[in-house]
This record gives sequence, structure tokens and C-alpha cells, in this order.
Amino acid sequence: MEKRYLKAIAALFVIFAIGLVGFYAYSAMYGDGLEKVMEENGVSEGEPVWTAPLDYGDGYGGSLLMGIIGFFVVMLVFVGLYLLVRSRKRAGHSQ
Amino acid sequence: MHIPDGLMDPTVLVIGWLIALPVVAYAIYKVSKTIDEKAVPFMAVLAAGIFIAQMLNFPVGGGTTGHLIGATLACILLGFYGSVVVMTVILVIQCLVFGDGGLTALGLNLLNMAVIAPIATAAVLWALKGRRQYTATFTASWLAVFLAATACALQLAFSYDLSGGDYGIEGVIVIPSMMAWHALIGIGEGIITTGIVAFLSKVSPESLKMQIGRKDEVDTGGKEVAA
Repeated sequence: MEKRYLKAIAALFVIFAIGLVGFYAYSAMYGDGLEKVMEENGVSEGEPVWTAPLDYGDGYGGSLLMGIIGFFVVMLVFVGLYLLVRSRKRAGHSQ
Repeated sequence: MHIPDGLMDPTVLVIGWLIALPVVAYAIYKVSKTIDEKAVPFMAVLAAGIFIAQMLNFPVGGGTTGHLIGATLACILLGFYGSVVVMTVILVIQCLVFGDGGLTALGLNLLNMAVIAPIATAAVLWALKGRRQYTATFTASWLAVFLAATACALQLAFSYDLSGGDYGIEGVIVIPSMMAWHALIGIGEGIITTGIVAFLSKVSPESLKMQIGRKDEVDTGGKEVAA
């Protein structure tokens, strides 16, 4: 991977680590727009059909770790896409 | 704005899947046919960046928070089809790995955030083609959030009507509430997205010209970016 992408990833982790401080200081105790509307109307979430292996974490350290894990899971999907595109291009060149 | 399981009427859930899936499938087809392998690392970093940005809720007042959706940013940087793919990957991972948004509601979440939000963005950028880049970016960001939330509110209202009150929330209540809260959240999305675009136009102007799918589908005012 090019150096500029590694720099961008490092910068994103720093921004995320700092942003999480703000999140836990001002936002963690409140829901988002949809959750607020559900709460105001006494509507609760149903039982999830799928039990996800992870969640976003409850504290700063847990959320930081989950964010970094999620970051790399997303990257991994695109590595798969990259390999797919590359193999298709090579197959195209060899024909 | 991730819809959980058990909130919507099953008919509305099925309609969500039926609309979202063909659009997502076509976007994947277009991207896979046209993408340059050099663009994939950029797409990956952008998608992963949007993923972590979505974890950082910001307060909008009244005990409510919002977070970046990122569809407008993705659409500006990658074009419409690229943004649909990026948002789809993020939403699927959020659902399957982190339990954010229900599996049955994934079709509606894809429809709202991976289809409607990019369409709103592309429409605004097309309408404001050649105008001031930052005004277009802010307007597109705000409208993408507002329309995605309005769609979600309508889905809740239809669910309520279809199920006789077993699912969803009554339209007269949910539509104005969702629109009001997301009108505020959209301002946050607009500020963050415009800030990122302004930053990238200074440090990496070439990243604002990386269109995947069709070269001319989104034009944010390339002359201003290049300058």
C-alpha cells in the first residue's frame, strides 16, 4: 500500500481516538434521531434476528478497539475486491 | 438511523429489499466493470474512515445525537455507483459484525443510506453543477440526510398503517419528528463533509476527481478544485 494511504490511516486513528473522547463526554448517553423518536413514542427494538459477534463497546477502550477492528474488517472486504479486480485484469491481459 | 429488527411491518421490509437489492447489484456490476485497481486502496480507506466516523455521534441538542452517514462524501469522491458500493459494505458489516441495524431491516437501511442518500447527493451535485463547490457539498450533505430520514419516517408510518399499529409509529407523529431532528443532524453532516472536501481540495485535489462507474456522473466543480 502506498505511503500516503498509511499516513491517512494513521491520521484517521488519531482523529478517531480524539473524537471518541468527545463522544464519551457529550454524546454517549443519548440516542440518535431515530432512537430519540422511538423513545418519545414508547417504541422499543424487537428481538434481533441475527446475533452479531461484536458490538461497539461500552467504554472508551472497548469502543476504540471495536472501531479499529471494524476499520480493518472494512479494509479486508476491499482487499478482496482488489484481488478480484487484479485477477480479472490479468485474465483479460493474458487473452 | 439504523433501523432495528421488529420495528417495521414485514411488507415494508420486503419492499425495502426489493427496491434496494437491484440498485446495489447494478452498482456492484458497474464498479466491478469500470474500477481501476489503483482506486481500490482509496475506496478502502474512505469506507473504513466512514465506518469509524459513524461511531462518533455528535450532540444536536434536546438529548439527541447524530452521526455522519458519509454517503455524500463517498459520492463526491467516488461517484454514485462507488458510493452505493461503499455504503453497502459499511452497512452490511455494521449489521452482521456489530449488530447495528437489524438483519431483516437491512434492505430498508440499504435503501435509505446506500441508495436514497447517494441519489439525493448526485441530484444536488448535478443541479448545482458548475456552482460553488462548498455550497453544493453542504446542500447535498444536508439533503441526503434529510431525505434518508424522511424515507425512514414514511416507512415507519406505512408500517403503522399496514399493521394497524402493531409496527411502526403513527405518521402524524413520526414524520415531523424525524424531519425536525434530521434537519439538525444534516447540518452536522454538511459541516463535516464540507470540511473534509475543503481539506482534501488543499492536500489531495486529485482525490476529488476519482469517479468510478461513469466519468461524468458527478461534477462538483472541478475547476474550483483544481485551483
